[in-house]
Amino acid sequence: MTQHIEIKNNTFILHPLSVVFWKQKSILIISDVHLGKVSHFRKFGAAVPQKAIQMNFDLMTEAVQQFSPKTICFLGDLFHSSINSEWHLFETWIAQQDAEVVLVEGNHDIISPLKYEKIGVTVVAEIQADGFLLTHHPEEREGFFNFSGHIHPAVRLRGAGRQTLRLPCFYKSNTQMIVPAFGQFTGHFTISPKKTDKVFAVTKEAVFEV
Amino acid sequence: MTRDERYHIAEHWFSEQNWKPFAFQKQTWKAFLQGKHGLLNAPTGSGKTYALWFPIVLDFIHKNPEYKTRHKKGLKAIWITPLRALSQEIKQSAERVASDLGTHMTVGIRTGDTSTKERAQQKRQMPDLLITTPESLQLLLATKGYPKLFKDCSAIVVDEWHELLGTKRGVQMELGLSRLRAISDNIRIWGISATIGNLDQARQVLLGPNSEALEKSVLIKANLKKKITVKSIIPKEMETFPWRGHLGLRLLEDVIPIINNSKTTLLFTNTRSQCEIWFQKILEKHPEYAGEIAMHHGSINKETRVWVENAIRNENLKAVVCTSSLDLGVDFAPVETVVQIGGPKGIARFLQRAGRSGHRPGKESVIYFLPTHAIELVEASALQQAVKQKAVEDRMPYLNSYDVLLQYLTTLALSDGFYPQEIYQEILQTFCYQALSEDQWQWLLNFLVKGSQSLQSYDEYKKVEVEEDGKFKVNNRGVAMRHRFQIGTIVGDANLTVRYQKGGYIGTIEEYFISKLSPGDVFTFAGRNLEFIRIKEMQVHVRNSSKKTKKVPAWGGGRMTLSAQMSKLLREELYKVSLERKEQSRELKSLAHIFKQQRLESLVPKPDEFLIETFKTRDGYHHLFYPFEGRFVHEAMGSLLGYRISLLSPITFSLAFNDYGFEILSDQEIDIEAIIDNNLFTTDYMLSDLEKSLNSTEMARRKFRDIAVISGMVFTGYPNKGVKMKHLQSSSQLLFDVFRDFEDDNLLYQQAFTETFEHQLEEGRLRTALERIATQQIIWKSCTKPTPFSFPLITDRMSREKLSSEKLADRIKRMAAILTKK
Repeated sequence: MTQHIEIKNNTFILHPLSVVFWKQKSILIISDVHLGKVSHFRKFGAAVPQKAIQMNFDLMTEAVQQFSPKTICFLGDLFHSSINSEWHLFETWIAQQDAEVVLVEGNHDIISPLKYEKIGVTVVAEIQADGFLLTHHPEEREGFFNFSGHIHPAVRLRGAGRQTLRLPCFYKSNTQMIVPAFGQFTGHFTISPKKTDKVFAVTKEAVFEV
Repeated sequence: MTRDERYHIAEHWFSEQNWKPFAFQKQTWKAFLQGKHGLLNAPTGSGKTYALWFPIVLDFIHKNPEYKTRHKKGLKAIWITPLRALSQEIKQSAERVASDLGTHMTVGIRTGDTSTKERAQQKRQMPDLLITTPESLQLLLATKGYPKLFKDCSAIVVDEWHELLGTKRGVQMELGLSRLRAISDNIRIWGISATIGNLDQARQVLLGPNSEALEKSVLIKANLKKKITVKSIIPKEMETFPWRGHLGLRLLEDVIPIINNSKTTLLFTNTRSQCEIWFQKILEKHPEYAGEIAMHHGSINKETRVWVENAIRNENLKAVVCTSSLDLGVDFAPVETVVQIGGPKGIARFLQRAGRSGHRPGKESVIYFLPTHAIELVEASALQQAVKQKAVEDRMPYLNSYDVLLQYLTTLALSDGFYPQEIYQEILQTFCYQALSEDQWQWLLNFLVKGSQSLQSYDEYKKVEVEEDGKFKVNNRGVAMRHRFQIGTIVGDANLTVRYQKGGYIGTIEEYFISKLSPGDVFTFAGRNLEFIRIKEMQVHVRNSSKKTKKVPAWGGGRMTLSAQMSKLLREELYKVSLERKEQSRELKSLAHIFKQQRLESLVPKPDEFLIETFKTRDGYHHLFYPFEGRFVHEAMGSLLGYRISLLSPITFSLAFNDYGFEILSDQEIDIEAIIDNNLFTTDYMLSDLEKSLNSTEMARRKFRDIAVISGMVFTGYPNKGVKMKHLQSSSQLLFDVFRDFEDDNLLYQQAFTETFEHQLEEGRLRTALERIATQQIIWKSCTKPTPFSFPLITDRMSREKLSSEKLADRIKRMAAILTKK
């Protein structure tokens, strides 16, 4: 089901819902949800099914129930664009959370931090803790292990008989871990891993190291 | 003026040119002047323009007796052409007749190439005859107050109707006609079509089934006799001629004497990249042709194309390498010879191309067939038969294309708005939507207005609004602007324009190709070697380069398949291999050594045999099946068989297919006895099995791409503008998944499947093919190495479809072991 990995004497759990749980700190890391994307498209005349909106919230709730974290950390691109009707749903969802909620700002996050603070979400540029660095864009920084999102990584697997398969993945190098996109209505970018990298493919039921 | 007096004007004009009108021209004049609608079946270069343009002018003369002194302004007739390139030619003939007869009628062109200034002028004062494309006609329907423009229009002529029929452009045309019938008081609808198998149906689609117009219509056939000679180029060294390939360059030297012996030669290739390569290679090997040969394909800029077309007419060129861009229209008298490089896949297309030579009534057409690999010579042999039997294919019209209808309704909502009851009655008259139910109609209206079938809170969906009196109207400027940019039904990859750094437009190229280049790379395009500098605002900047390169852009789109008629002829030719030598064609005889090789471990099937071959290579276990039915049917059959095999035991494999057969490649061996014993080729449950096969979902996913764009679900961005619309661009893939997961009763989602089954998998043909196999004896040959028949299939690494019935986890575990790491 899940994968447990040790980095710098800390334990991280990679979950099939495309989230990471930092055990020692009790932080749930969720990246690239792109809330509001469906509504944004609808506002511009593309009739994306509305049912897809609720799915993001249901899955977020499921992830939170799984780990009961002290902190929920969104690694950027929480909202796809400017504020729209999905903000109400988000507000309601936040009100139901016991955990502290932090947003590490991403390139899509153009909604004012004041709005977030009003509903109890702290907005920061990055988080540093115990030699770990949490950012939206992948970053190399001396002395830190970096967790980031932004890329929406996916991996292409090949088998005999010329079969191939593309799956979202957690993408880890010696100094970095890139988290897959959580959002239901988001695309993927196929990575080309190096020999020293580790790749964890995500399916509905499980996370596999490949 | 009596009708006879009017005929006399026309006949007099012909005799002044020393011409005699053909019977079909006179028949058309008569029918038109009697107020009839109709379909004229006549080939290009036969004088079809005069057949319809004359009665339009004569009708005008009749209605305006003082036409020589007082000209009544306004649009009188519309001439629709599917290719912009043809409009100039039609304009010239029309203008000539108009002025020779002493009228003051004006002729205007309105296409994507028309300047904004000219368009504005036209809107103020329409020309008497407007030559335009189906897309530009839709754009006119998107302008405010359009009914006034068309009110006095007395005729619409749809040229090259066979090209539109069986495409969504044809559907768009049906819709345009349904509107014109309602707003023009007295419009006559005429189509012109080359010979196709279903001419009667073509007339029905044009005029509407059960319509009054159809009752009052005629089908006129030109019946011009044309002698066509097909000559195959047979390689001198057949033994070393390759078993696979698609370029045909090996026979380049055989083409040279053909070019030298003829005034002008057209060399038809099947793809634009093949066209580029042939042009380069001829010049490389024969620099003496510099300036005397040219290239013509759809991605080259318009000026160059027009220049080439004029140069052909003026006999300035020895040869032109071209694609289907020169299939249609334009009368090129100097063309004496045509060369077809590679299989043309369809008989109608081959005949059309042959007809490009000896392009004068009564002259003989000569076409050479140049094979790109050995087995293609069987195709050449089959084409000989096709010409003898005059077999031609049908063009299958679309039914219930919701995407095109949604686009059309948005168009109407954009200009003057529409009342649903009125428009519903109009579209029920069309062929495409004759069976559209009220429920479906209501669904479409809801989709436009609410973006769903039920209203939900907090929804900001915005597109079409319903005004107080029930009129459907677009009031949002953003919606309107985006829609205008997207009118049309031809969906391609994002196209970038290629320019020199200092300006100078060269053509368009697909983004996909450019994305693989880095600055400094050299590629061949429009016959030049160009160095890629950068991409800036949807433009590719390049400079000339003297470096050699092998990079040639590949354009996506249309891998062609053998038509049903062609496949049948192909099989029949193949069966002749078992006959005595003297009963075989030249082409078949030349392949004797290949058939000998084929028989070493396998066989060449006879009419009552169905061949299966198996062998193992480094790639895995190969299982080959040869129905000889064309690649689409093979795709479907492979998918169906694959699914049924996967039910027997968990297995993963990939499929490859070409016009002769298909291959199932797996890392496990498939038990062929089990396929035979379990009767896996049965037609029972065919449709439901097909639906369940993963492949049909993948195919529907690809169909959905076009549907999403046409229906306005996906916005492709503004053409040639740097405007960043990224926040609105999503892939149709993503949308497809969202519909699958949340709204699988969506009509557009379902349309993707219907189109897959009817147009891609050709369900009907698949059934017939399976029924034929049921009467044949299945022969399984277990071989030690690849056979000549299998070779083109097993080396095809491009078009592979995958299918699996294994658990994902099991697959990943096995694949993980061989994950390719850099």
